[in-house]
Amino acid sequence: MSTIASFGFWSFVGIVAGIYTLFALGVQVQFGFAGLLNFGQVAFMGIGAYTMAILVVKEDLNMWLAAGCGVALAVLAGLLLGLPTLRLRADYFAITTIAFSEILRYVATNEDRLTGGSQGTINLAGIGKASQYDGAWQSFLGKVERNLHVSGDAAMLILVWTVALLAVAMVSLMMRTPWGRVLKSIREDEDAAASLGKNVFLYKLQALAIGAALGAVAGIFYAWQFSFFSPDDFAPLITFFAWMIVILGGLGRAWTVPVGALVFGIIFAGTRFFDFPPFSLLDSTERAYVRLIVIGLVIIGLMLFRPQGIFGSRKEMVLE
Amino acid sequence: MTAILEVREVVRAFGGLRAVDEASFDVEAGSITALIGPNGAGKSTLFNLVSGFLSAERGTVQFEGRRIDRVPPHRIAQRGLVRTFQVPRTLTRMSVLDNVLVAATRHPGEQLNGLVLRAGLARRRERTARERAAELLALFRLDGHAGDYAGVLSGGQRKLLDFARVLMAEPRLVLLDEPMAGVNPTLGRQLVEHVLRLRTEAGMTFLFVEHDLDIVMEASDRVIVMNEGRVIASGTPEEVRGDQRVVDAYLGTAGAP
Repeated sequence: MSTIASFGFWSFVGIVAGIYTLFALGVQVQFGFAGLLNFGQVAFMGIGAYTMAILVVKEDLNMWLAAGCGVALAVLAGLLLGLPTLRLRADYFAITTIAFSEILRYVATNEDRLTGGSQGTINLAGIGKASQYDGAWQSFLGKVERNLHVSGDAAMLILVWTVALLAVAMVSLMMRTPWGRVLKSIREDEDAAASLGKNVFLYKLQALAIGAALGAVAGIFYAWQFSFFSPDDFAPLITFFAWMIVILGGLGRAWTVPVGALVFGIIFAGTRFFDFPPFSLLDSTERAYVRLIVIGLVIIGLMLFRPQGIFGSRKEMVLE
Repeated sequence: MTAILEVREVVRAFGGLRAVDEASFDVEAGSITALIGPNGAGKSTLFNLVSGFLSAERGTVQFEGRRIDRVPPHRIAQRGLVRTFQVPRTLTRMSVLDNVLVAATRHPGEQLNGLVLRAGLARRRERTARERAAELLALFRLDGHAGDYAGVLSGGQRKLLDFARVLMAEPRLVLLDEPMAGVNPTLGRQLVEHVLRLRTEAGMTFLFVEHDLDIVMEASDRVIVMNEGRVIASGTPEEVRGDQRVVDAYLGTAGAP
């Protein structure tokens, strides 16, 4: 069977899109609802993944507990990042978030004893002892497969998307509450919000922390899906994938995120089928970069003809 | 009469320029007080100092007997001193109704823990807030636009929306920064009538910056005049009108003093 028709391949695309839904939903909460320019979202993904893996391998902690710690630590990191930086102007805040994610990546690369260093999680237990953190997850996945009578890929697909859609629903509900209304008022004009008695800083901090938690959940699924990762998996480019997804789908709405993630995933994976001229002149590694060009072009096109994204509101975009 | 706001020797400089230079004055509870002065007199800076958006280098500000000169803006607003801005701060990508609702005070639904732990209370508060917001929108004849994006409103309607929003915040002292600027005369009259009525019916105090001296003389009980960062005169409109320093500030002194 050719790749283009294989369930295995497309379920992989679907799983990654589900993970990216969770990841980009964090950016949607932070930017789409609270107006925070977080360019370091990938750091929270990394914190979630590494915390879980390290605790499972080194402390032999229960997988679920370790995952919970990963989310908690990401939230804590979000608060620590936000406390000194959220009072900065939006553009300065954006710069510090990139620095934050890069600092963490370099620490992960160089702190061999904690993270396994540049060799990644295979080196977690130290040299000469191949380590693996997802044994418990694989056996859990096996149980799901047997109970639902589906393949391993399908089980992962179901699990990731169940969590992702629950998160989307929850964010969507939260934005309809008075709390969400205050968050949006801060996005619109934080001085106005402050003049009406709203603690702008506190709400921004909450948005940052919620986005961090979502990023960590995405990171944990990422770790389980790939069974191995290294600091290079958390490069700034990944943060910008989340931004592309949010922009593709449309700003300021929770349910546009899974749509954006699917479109992004299909373009990203679909370019591997570009085996006709002129793309056939390129070798496969070169072709891997073509997809970034394609996504770039799609976003440029979208900005020109549909700046609100696929499902965003045009009316909202033109308001002054 | 007791003072609801006491400003004492407040100083704020930008670079070498003392925008507000040892300004002192009182605003009496229940009064409509105008703050006037030529461009660059420091009126807007003073508003920002009083509302907490800028901090004073020296001097004190007291609201209802409590210091507010080191208090962040949202806490000042929560205490009952609410301001508007020169250019209306319309939350354009939110509905007109939401623009007003967001100003609701003591709303448990605005806190994450309140949403979960006091869900019933939050729901009831939301209901009363919606009733009050509907009243205010009707009062300012914006009820026809309640569901529209606030960004579609005209400049004058935005002024009204700002005013409705401030009232939603249940203030005792309202700071209005040039409420009549960019408003047509008919709408201006309505605004003045609202202010007069709110003072009588709800006992609110108003401090407003205004350039239209006819409106100042007509609507205010007291006038404070600033020039070059200092308060140079204060009193009833009649007293201020006859004050030579005020005339000098507006027209410039003729010849050497």
